[in-house]
Amino acid sequence: MTDFVRFIERSPRHIGTIHPLALNALQEAGTPAPQPPPTQRGSQRFLQGGLSAPITVTWEITAACNIACVHCLSASGRRRPNELTTTQALALVDELADMQVFQIHFGGGEPFIYPGIWKVLERCTERGLVMCVSTNGTLITTERARRLKQFNPLYFQVSLDGGTERTNDSIRGKGVFTRALRGLELLAAEQHSLTVNSVLTRHSFYELDRLYEIAVSFGAKLRVTRLRPSGRGRDVWEDLHPTQEQYREFTVWLSAHPDVLTADSFFHLNALGHKLAGLDTCGAATATCCICPEGEVYPCAFFQAPEFEAGNLHTQSFREIWQQSTLFDYYRKMGSGACSGCGQYNVCHGGCPATKWFVHQKLSIRDPECVLA
Amino acid sequence: MPQPSTAYRLMPEVKIRRESFGGILYKYGCADRGALSFINSPQLIDLLIESQQQYDGNVSAAIAHRRYSESSKQKLYAALDNLIERGYIQQEI
Repeated sequence: MTDFVRFIERSPRHIGTIHPLALNALQEAGTPAPQPPPTQRGSQRFLQGGLSAPITVTWEITAACNIACVHCLSASGRRRPNELTTTQALALVDELADMQVFQIHFGGGEPFIYPGIWKVLERCTERGLVMCVSTNGTLITTERARRLKQFNPLYFQVSLDGGTERTNDSIRGKGVFTRALRGLELLAAEQHSLTVNSVLTRHSFYELDRLYEIAVSFGAKLRVTRLRPSGRGRDVWEDLHPTQEQYREFTVWLSAHPDVLTADSFFHLNALGHKLAGLDTCGAATATCCICPEGEVYPCAFFQAPEFEAGNLHTQSFREIWQQSTLFDYYRKMGSGACSGCGQYNVCHGGCPATKWFVHQKLSIRDPECVLA
Repeated sequence: MPQPSTAYRLMPEVKIRRESFGGILYKYGCADRGALSFINSPQLIDLLIESQQQYDGNVSAAIAHRRYSESSKQKLYAALDNLIERGYIQQEI
């Protein structure tokens, strides 16, 4: 904690510390443009003021993972020493339910390695929380697929980062493609609601049609998401992030496949002139946030930088962090920085702050994948 | 406008939360994180929550209980028709 400073000029209702690097970056990005007139449509005017609770919380419930993807956004592998206990996790579910969070998106690590996962899913069911579990699929067995039917509503995302064994396994590890397909098969056999989740890379781009076919073959939807340079993703960013030309072709492909989900992660492509479905702005710290295994709370799953830790559940309640964190307060009021004056800002809102941070340690710049660059 | 025998009913998958500007409607099971709408009318949000909590999702029953003026009803039904289009409400005959 010695590296942190308390920023004392904020309103007394704001709590916590803000790292000097984060403070500097947020201040460089400026303050938001004047509020849009009431007649203007769009979700940003509702989100910017901060909601009483997130709409969705991404909860990386453990860092333990039985595979080691080269682009893992949270650099997962081994279980971390201060991961939340099952008792703490159950209390957190209650708090999220009390705040009327709509959905919890469980990730990791591999959620099925977390010892308390079954109790946590049970508590979510009791409290009426919608659950989505993002899994690598390799630990799904017939017995587990059946047992999971007792939880409702529960959705699964099974990761495939290529439509072929060669492409997928070059990212996710040897043999993972076959094991993930087996997991999909077992979940589909029990009629679970499924999506195949795939991070778009310059290699998987050529296999989008194949990925779509695989998803359809399991009665699943395909969900394509944007690669971010967080976690181990920083190490492979230059090699894997799609080219500008691929992004242009991808938008055409998406318009031809309107049933493909995108997690609202490609809104930076709106600047090409065709608005994609979903939110057209970053939902970090406004519509969503990320809870990490050791209780750290970050603006989103892709922004797991120590400088941007809003608080920790070992010492604060989630409600306190969400509603009073100084970091979140600053984040929600972030300005447009270098995008100020750009004619496309209203449709892309400057792109992904996490990508800016991890590539250039700045928030005031354009998205490194800005399609107008 | 509804026919006399038509009831407006919230879809069972819809969750509602009050916010300072009005509230949020969230319908799970149909997209990444469900469909989502920001409603900037606290009165409409109150009505929908009352429908869900006291009338088993029957919005028409909640409207009848509240005794709106005819002009208010016209506006209300226009808003409800919009929510039908977005998949939050269904009409039952």
